[in-house]
Amino acid sequence: MTPTRSWISIFLVVLAVASAPETCWAHAILMESTPKINSTVKGPDLDIVLRYNVRIDAQRSTLHMVAPNGTVSSLAIAKQISQDRLQSHAAGLTSGAYKLQWQVLASDGHISRGEIPFAVN
Amino acid sequence: MILKLVDLFAFFSVLLRAGTLVFQSVLVGGVIFVLWVAGQAPGRLASGIDRIRTSCWKLLTFSAIGLAVVQVLYLFVDSSVLMATAGLGIDGIVGANFFISGSIVFITALVTAVIAGSFRQIAHWALPVLVLVIIGASLMTNHAASRLEGRPLLIALSSMHELTAGVWIGGLPFLVLGLLQAKDVDTEWYVSQRFSRAALVSVGLLLLSGTLMSILYIGGWGAVLGTGYGVMVSAKAAMLVALLALGGANYLLLRNATKEEGLPRLRRMIEAEVGIGITIILTAASLASQPPAVDQLNQTVNLQQIYQRFKPVPPRLTYHYVVDDPKGNRTAGQVKGYDADGLPLTTYQINNAIESESNHHWMGLIVLAMGLMALLARTGKAPWAEYWPLLLMGIAAFIFLLADTESWPVGPKSYWVAWANPEVFQHRLAGFVCVGFAFFELRIRKQRRENDRLTLVFPLMCALGGAVLLTHSHPTTNVKENLLVELSHVPLGVTAVLAGWSRWLELRLPQAHRAIPSWIWPACFVLIGLGLLNYREM
Repeated sequence: MTPTRSWISIFLVVLAVASAPETCWAHAILMESTPKINSTVKGPDLDIVLRYNVRIDAQRSTLHMVAPNGTVSSLAIAKQISQDRLQSHAAGLTSGAYKLQWQVLASDGHISRGEIPFAVN
Repeated sequence: MILKLVDLFAFFSVLLRAGTLVFQSVLVGGVIFVLWVAGQAPGRLASGIDRIRTSCWKLLTFSAIGLAVVQVLYLFVDSSVLMATAGLGIDGIVGANFFISGSIVFITALVTAVIAGSFRQIAHWALPVLVLVIIGASLMTNHAASRLEGRPLLIALSSMHELTAGVWIGGLPFLVLGLLQAKDVDTEWYVSQRFSRAALVSVGLLLLSGTLMSILYIGGWGAVLGTGYGVMVSAKAAMLVALLALGGANYLLLRNATKEEGLPRLRRMIEAEVGIGITIILTAASLASQPPAVDQLNQTVNLQQIYQRFKPVPPRLTYHYVVDDPKGNRTAGQVKGYDADGLPLTTYQINNAIESESNHHWMGLIVLAMGLMALLARTGKAPWAEYWPLLLMGIAAFIFLLADTESWPVGPKSYWVAWANPEVFQHRLAGFVCVGFAFFELRIRKQRRENDRLTLVFPLMCALGGAVLLTHSHPTTNVKENLLVELSHVPLGVTAVLAGWSRWLELRLPQAHRAIPSWIWPACFVLIGLGLLNYREM
């Protein structure tokens, strides 16, 4: 390889590598949810519906409930009736502050996650 | 640990997507180049074209292998994170959309490499089919495919956009290679003219598809400056204008100049086109990792908020931090700070902003002085201004002495112990780089060593710095504040890219044609300095 050609190759590689971002964020955004963020709901049973801005892969997404005492339980995700929604059901909720943690795989391969704090009275 | 994995994935994701887009575009451009641009030639040019084709086949094979490697890494990273965080086994992963798409791209890229390397007799029909399969599979994982509404139109527009970007921008490295390999001006002129025709058609379709997608993904004028997506699209459009200017100049040269007159300029302008073109592709990868503006219309920043943040105020060149009294109350007369929504910031947030703003403003002052001195030097009436690279030493001194406010001479910690902090280490390393640049640039200017390849390091680093600024993070939390930061950094990134490539052109173009780029890059430095001087976080 001549010096000029090797220079161009190195340049292209360096350009691609050096342009590494600090961090990237997925683009599935939570558009609305039940329960709403920082809302208060009635227990002990709760139907959960999360709606996103893009199609999501429910089979490969997860929901976890963090109870007031800090214990974390996994929630089963119901069969997807709409491609932008995750649905689930939580039972046996006592009064206190909860956090619903979600992680979704968007159909474009991006993974997003977030948290919905809410209270049960 | 698991959450760290997701963050790490996020980091690699844009990198690998950028790699995918670059290799994919080069593959598309390469196929058009070897099969059409350099596919046939009049008898008298046959040997030159053969030489070009041989090199281009190698680059095409390399691009296909590159695409396969990037895809397999992407599949590995994404699958690993999903297996770790969602409790899935490999059998649960294989049905995922990204896995199917990535596997198709991986296998097709490998087949492309094999055909481009060893089975060229079937290339004329196999390669176009394989390229279409790759584009189709890659579309399975882009914005268009994940939308709920208007999907067919968006997929059609995205296909057109990716294909035409590939033909034009992805074909440019092959043209550079072709011009290097052709040993006579007739062959060089012939491939340039044929490439120009392909590029002309592509540019029209690229602009059409890009404009329509921007309308559909941005949704309104307010979101152009009011969302991260809109700002990045604007940056992409600004760089596209620069690319079109270069492409337009090449087009006119090919039609109006003689071969001997046009080719020396053409070769150099195509080099700059490659650089700006790849930066645009990297910006596109960054764009693909954030939500379209139409999904964030309730989190846009309005013009009033933008004005509040960017209205010119005197720079902050002191580090007068806010101190609370023992009861936690802020002493009267101290700096007050508010966020984008007008909510008061905490003492900690204000002090962070003061430190960051002061650092940006000092840096802005030095860069502004560099730009002004470079402009003066350009007039030829102020020989002393040729020493502007010495100001890079000023940046180095600032980094070594003032940037880390926790260590000597600004803070209480030991100067030498601070080297152990990775961030401080990185910053001080950048200080050494500045010293290196100052030395090289000064040597070039005083010894007039314009043919030395080291002269190209400085413009390349400018362009790289700009590209890094354009492919930085796009958090979905604290959207408004991050957008305001982005609004200040993205123009700096675009200007740095233009500064780098105009300086490149000044160094590479024939002496008689350096006038325009020689004015552009100092002016860009002045703009970067002013932008840094007006940077604010509250």
